[in-house]
Amino acid sequence: MGQKEKVLIIIPAFNEADNIVRVVDHMMEQAPQYDYLVVNDGSTDDTLSLCRREKFHYLDLSINMGIGGAVQAGYIYARKNGYDIAVQMDGDGQHDIAYLEEVLEPIRQGEADVTIGSRFLQKEGFQSSVSRRAGINILSFLILLTTGKRIKDVTSGYRAVNRRFIEIYSKDYPMDYPEPEAIVAAIMHLGRVKEIPVQMRAREGGTSSITFKKSIYYMIKVTLAILICRMSYGVRRAKRED
Amino acid sequence: MIPATLRVTLIVAVICYFIMILYFLKQKALNLKYTLLWIVAGVVMGILVIVPELLVFIIHIFGIQDNMNGLFIFAIGFIIMILLSLTSIASRQNRKIRTLTQELSILDKKVRELEEKAVTEDEQGKEG
Repeated sequence: MGQKEKVLIIIPAFNEADNIVRVVDHMMEQAPQYDYLVVNDGSTDDTLSLCRREKFHYLDLSINMGIGGAVQAGYIYARKNGYDIAVQMDGDGQHDIAYLEEVLEPIRQGEADVTIGSRFLQKEGFQSSVSRRAGINILSFLILLTTGKRIKDVTSGYRAVNRRFIEIYSKDYPMDYPEPEAIVAAIMHLGRVKEIPVQMRAREGGTSSITFKKSIYYMIKVTLAILICRMSYGVRRAKRED
Repeated sequence: MIPATLRVTLIVAVICYFIMILYFLKQKALNLKYTLLWIVAGVVMGILVIVPELLVFIIHIFGIQDNMNGLFIFAIGFIIMILLSLTSIASRQNRKIRTLTQELSILDKKVRELEEKAVTEDEQGKEG
C-alpha cells in the first residue's frame, strides 16, 4: 500500500490502571502499523508505573489537567513530530480499535477534516443510559442551532483529525469537558466534520469521568461553553489559515 | 455629611492599608504588577476621605439616598472588580501552567528516549 502518512493514536489516561495495559496491548496487536501515545494525566494510581513497566510510548503530565489538557498535549506532540493524522481514543476500553480504519478513511481520502466515531448512527452496541442520551440530544440540538450542522454523538471522544486540525487543536483546545466544544471550534474553522458509525462498549473498569452528581454541572458548563465558543468566532466564520 | 470621627477612622485605615501594601512589597510577597490596582484603590480611597464632598457629589449623581450606603456600594463594587481581575489573572496563569506541563511532558519523553538510546549504544560499545 502506497499510503505513507504518519498516524498517531492519542490515548488520554487518568487513573486507568485497570484498563490501560489491555487497551494498549490490544491496540498494538490490531494496529501495529500506527504509532500510539498514552497521555498519563497526572494519575494517582499505577497508570504511570504500568506504562513504564510495559515500556509504552507515553507522555507524563506532572499535574492532572483534565481530558482537554491531556488530549491537547497529544496534539502538540503530533504537531512537533510531523504526524499527518491524529486519532484520539479513550483509555478505558470503550472505543473499539476495530473501527479505526473506518474513522481514518474519510481523512485519508481528504473527504473530511474531523471524523467522529458515533454510536448513535446505527444504534448498535452500547448506547448509554436514557438520561445521558437525553443530555447528548440537547447538546446536539444546541450545536445544530449555533452552527447549522447536525452531529449526533457530540460527546464521543473517538475522533480523528487531519494535519490542519492537529495544528489548530494543538494551539487551542477546550478544557474540562471538551468534546462538544471542540466540534463547534472545528465547524467554525470551516472544518468538514463527519460522523462515522461505530459500536462502543460499556466501560470495562474504572469509573466514567461524569458521575450523576456532576451531570447538571456538565450540562450547564457545556451549554455555556458552546455558546461562548460560537460567539467568540463572531457573525462571520473564521477563515481558513492556508 | 460623613461624621468627623468616621473620617479620622477612615484616614487611619487608609494609612494602615498603605503601610501593609508597602510591607508586602518590601517582603516581595506581592508582585508590583498586581499591586498597582490596590495602590490605585488606596489613592482613590484617600482622596475620598480627604475630600468627602466629592463622594457626596458622586453618590448624589447615582441617586443613592444615604451617604454611608453609598460608601458601602462603592466599596463592594470595587471589591467585585478586583475579584474579577484576580479571576482573570488566575485563568491566565492556569493557561500558562497548562502549556508548561504539556511542554514538560514532551521534553520528558524526549529525555527518556535519549537515555535509552545512550544505554543501548553503551552496551553495544562494550560488546564491540
